[in-house]
Amino acid sequence: MAKLKLQVNGEEIGIEAKEAALLLDVLREGLELTGTKRGCETSHCGACTVLLDGMAVHSCVVLAARCEGKEITTVEGLSQNGELNELQRLFLKHGALQCGYCTPGMLMAATALLRRNPRPDLEEIKIGLDGNLCRCTGYTGIFEAIQACAQGGRS
Amino acid sequence: MDRKLIRPDSIDEALSERQKYGLDAMPIAGGQSLLVLLRNKLVDPKILIDLERLAELHGLQRQANAISIGAMTTIFTLASSADVEKAPPLGQAATKVGSTAIRNLGTIGGNVCHNEPGADLPPSLLALNAVAELRSKNGTRKVPLGEFFRSYFETVVGPEELLTRVEVPALPNEATGVYLKHAISSEDLAIAGVAVVLIPDGNGGGAVREVRIGLGGVAPVPFRAAKAERALAGAVLKDEAIREAAQIASSEAEPMTDPHASADYRRKMVKVLVRRAIVAAKEQMERKGNGQA
Repeated sequence: MAKLKLQVNGEEIGIEAKEAALLLDVLREGLELTGTKRGCETSHCGACTVLLDGMAVHSCVVLAARCEGKEITTVEGLSQNGELNELQRLFLKHGALQCGYCTPGMLMAATALLRRNPRPDLEEIKIGLDGNLCRCTGYTGIFEAIQACAQGGRS
Repeated sequence: MDRKLIRPDSIDEALSERQKYGLDAMPIAGGQSLLVLLRNKLVDPKILIDLERLAELHGLQRQANAISIGAMTTIFTLASSADVEKAPPLGQAATKVGSTAIRNLGTIGGNVCHNEPGADLPPSLLALNAVAELRSKNGTRKVPLGEFFRSYFETVVGPEELLTRVEVPALPNEATGVYLKHAISSEDLAIAGVAVVLIPDGNGGGAVREVRIGLGGVAPVPFRAAKAERALAGAVLKDEAIREAAQIASSEAEPMTDPHASADYRRKMVKVLVRRAIVAAKEQMERKGNGQA
């Protein structure tokens, strides 16, 4: 076992984990941050997407030990003072979810995209979400919500 | 028994661990393929040697006649580097690897050492005559990529060695390159991946001194379609000659049938993609002013 010091959603957290533990397991099992979903566990579906120093990563293929000294953001870190943030509100407004299982990953991938490129066009949005699958096939609403967010939430 | 994770701070330290543990340990680069293999219990090393802290393996350096790429350089860095734009088709291939999240952490070293059929970088690296630098406690050796890949998921990297850098010789300014990938879904491995580099002969008549064709996903290892290259060397790239070369390249492939595509389909896609890639590279050449008037 190893003692890890992780920076999660702005908070420094000490946790004990197996030496080669995956970030996904530490978040869900260790820290009970279950907003990050366990999907394929083989880096295909993106349900487990979190931000590592602002970059979208699939937490099922990240060693937790490597995350020390880096800022981890999960979907729980998006809301502010208990209020959904603008992107989350726009997901609701545009019906960008059906079953909701892909939603945390979609939100995190979209957050990384918008930080890097605040005005993405549709093609750039599709590339930014290329690691995230929605099996309800609700992509249109997701793209609309992200485009609306890029336009300052006006549409 | 839980797996042990060793996190060396220097190449020397990492090489000592390599020597000490041999086949009991596996080096982990970006982890985007290896952690999936571990999860699926396809490999089960007792120890992982994490290469992340080896600062000198991160990033790329532009040298006089080459780009030297550290093995831990991420695919994202490759895809966004202005230096790599000078090594077409490598930059294009980097944008086609996996998905955004995989490109963010996946590395060039992991990509070539994993040697999974259909990986996107090897065809381009082969077409660029890239050279791998391998280090062990016993010294350094350089292996041209053409001799690097041995079989499915196998390379010449020994149990005590690490791939430290990939050196990509600079192309002449007038050279052009294209990478084309055929896959069902964008994040898949290539059913067929084709990298083409054209080097004009410089006489302005539209002839090429050299054509290089790297193929991936269509044989036990990525390889250069040498016969097709010879058929076009020194030629003016007329449609008929391009079609013939594409046919030859297709006959050089030794694809396998797997759940993604049949061997026959892969062979046919080689013909289609080689033709398209040469035509696209030729059009680039003409736009650069080196083509036939």
